[in-house]
Amino acid sequence: MTDTPAHMPLSEPEDVVSRRVIIRAVGMQKVYQRGEEITYALRSIDVEVYTGEFIVVMGPSGSGKSTFFNMIGALDSPSKGRVFIDEVDVAQLTAEELAFLRCRKIGYIFQSYNLIQYMTALENVTTPMAFGGVMPDEARKRGMDLLDLVGLSDRWFHRPIEMSGGQQQRVAIARALANQPSILLCDEPTANLDHHTGDEILAILQRLNKERGVTVICATHDHRMMNICDRLMWIRDGNIERIARRDEVEVEVGSIE
Amino acid sequence: MKRIDVQNQPKLSSGRIFQIAVTGVKYRLFRAMVTVAVIVVAMAFLMNILTESLIKRAVADSVREQIEDLHRVDRWIARLSIPQSAEDILTQIAKAEWPSSYGEEISAMSGMSMDALKAMQPQAQEAVQYLRFFENLDYGRLRVLVGPVESTRIFERLQTERGWHQFSTSLADMRTVRLPLPLEQFQAFIEGWDQLDAFIDVVREGQTRAIEQVHEAIGDQPVVEALQDADGAFGQTIRAAGFALDPEEAASLVQEVRRMEQTLLIEGTINIHGVRQAVAAERDILPGDVTMPMIWRMVRSRDRAEWFLGVLQENQVDQGGLTPETLTMIARQRAHARLLAVAEQQTMEAGGGLMNIGTRMTWLAFVSMLVCAVGIANAMLMSVTERFREIATLKCLGALDAFIMTVFLIEAALLGLVGGLGGALAGFILAGTRMAVTFRSLLWQAFPWNEILVAGLLSIGVGMVLAAISAVYPSFRAARLAPMEAMRIE
Repeated sequence: MTDTPAHMPLSEPEDVVSRRVIIRAVGMQKVYQRGEEITYALRSIDVEVYTGEFIVVMGPSGSGKSTFFNMIGALDSPSKGRVFIDEVDVAQLTAEELAFLRCRKIGYIFQSYNLIQYMTALENVTTPMAFGGVMPDEARKRGMDLLDLVGLSDRWFHRPIEMSGGQQQRVAIARALANQPSILLCDEPTANLDHHTGDEILAILQRLNKERGVTVICATHDHRMMNICDRLMWIRDGNIERIARRDEVEVEVGSIE
Repeated sequence: MKRIDVQNQPKLSSGRIFQIAVTGVKYRLFRAMVTVAVIVVAMAFLMNILTESLIKRAVADSVREQIEDLHRVDRWIARLSIPQSAEDILTQIAKAEWPSSYGEEISAMSGMSMDALKAMQPQAQEAVQYLRFFENLDYGRLRVLVGPVESTRIFERLQTERGWHQFSTSLADMRTVRLPLPLEQFQAFIEGWDQLDAFIDVVREGQTRAIEQVHEAIGDQPVVEALQDADGAFGQTIRAAGFALDPEEAASLVQEVRRMEQTLLIEGTINIHGVRQAVAAERDILPGDVTMPMIWRMVRSRDRAEWFLGVLQENQVDQGGLTPETLTMIARQRAHARLLAVAEQQTMEAGGGLMNIGTRMTWLAFVSMLVCAVGIANAMLMSVTERFREIATLKCLGALDAFIMTVFLIEAALLGLVGGLGGALAGFILAGTRMAVTFRSLLWQAFPWNEILVAGLLSIGVGMVLAAISAVYPSFRAARLAPMEAMRIE
């Protein structure tokens, strides 16, 4: 992988004609300034993500992976360049519209789960529905369905501290799906989990992608992800080092591992 | 693939926000103990000050008459010995309500008509205002304005041209000093002072004559002894001299004097060897350890009093007509009088300021509130800062800034409510106990329940408001951050 050419053509999904671009980043740059010192977290990123894709983003820590994530998830604004989600320029949105976007369009899954500690599993799942204006009864019903989907409907009244890491992450996935988002952003979803639990989470993600057509973008160090993704993306020093379809890299898997 | 147009996020109903905030508080209450503890301490301090001051004031109000009674004999001895000061005369004329017994007394002694006295009242009232004004000035300013004179002498000095010139020029320089009435009016008053001064002299002459008359009647007998007969011939003498002494006052005066005599008698018995030894044997201590308070405590019970009078009889001491009942009563009244003295001393500052607790106490409470506000602000800042991750998560889930601020404000107010409740209770118990120890029986007859309830509600309210205000800035900052920035800070 070390001798990858810097300007290789971007690999696109096979059936590109039938698919729509859901996220597009154009010249995206993020600069952090601390006093005199200027750090480029992202230098210049151009990328297009299509609906229904499962993309894995890889890269060493400090490569700008998380920053890339926050930008395309409308959690942070780029210093330069633009991000379009569903052809809407994120920079043009008001605070209320951003909240709307985060609430219904995108589901977030974090490495450290980030469940609200004082809420039960069900309350955690129904909170985004409440923000989205769903009535409590309806929200409870849908929340139970989602917990059922991740296999936790019998633990709906437990609080996060009473659950294992894998269970918490499954609640987090159910919460991310609360308002039927079209995009699922996962930041190292399996990093804090053991091998077996990680497999379960991966299976859930894969199922969501295949059965519901949810676009999944997943930052990870976990090589198991490669087996279920459509495309892989490597980020290094704030630039996209390489994007490749799975079948393109499968032959190289041996050398990666 | 469905496609959603981006719209404005709907706002949550306030009921729902409150529900979410309450869930959070219920879970976090124990973790928020530091914040609550700070609020408890702060509000306990406020409540303590309020309760103590309110109790003191209530006690002061209820015992004022009793304290007056305590000094009745002293007052009469003074009245029958020297004429009143000019200031006292002016003050009493100024506040007299017609028909006034004081007016009648003055009129009888000096031969002035009541109408003449009434005519003097407005001028006397004005004089009292000026006297208050000069009294409240600090010494340096007073010295600059009128030189080294005090009270009504000030008016005399201002009548001289030099005195007035010094006063009016210096007053013009002092921007913060305000006369209670316009300067022209004061000048007119000074010009007319001679008239008032002459009036005072007439009053004092009349008083002097009356006092002489009384003294001629009693000869060399001390006034206090003569007062034993205040309801009899001596009372007639006093009345004849012009003093206003109604029979009721005379009766209590006699009682008071007799009690003083008897008290002196009992206090004298400690120097009698036989009595001292008998008491020592009774209490099983050395005769040298017998003290007067011990004897007073002892004779508060009727049996002991009877025994004590028996001891006096054995030692051939004159019992001054004491019966066990009266001795017991005197001992009890003595204890009560001591309490009253404590109350008088403790309640000197009562009045004015917030809830009438006195200006000094109000300031103390205010300054302590400032200090506590800083403490609460710090605790709230910590509690909001440590929850940046939670705030960021909520924003990822689509929460609006206003929602986050509202939740935090409600939480802070609820913490303030809990802290305020605890503090009010703690402060009340502390102050109540202290006051109960100080005032004992005086406390219960005057306990200001309603005012203390108001003070408690005030403390709780202040706690809630302080906590909410302290949470405004940190939660505003947290709510405005982009979600990922908030997470990074943690």
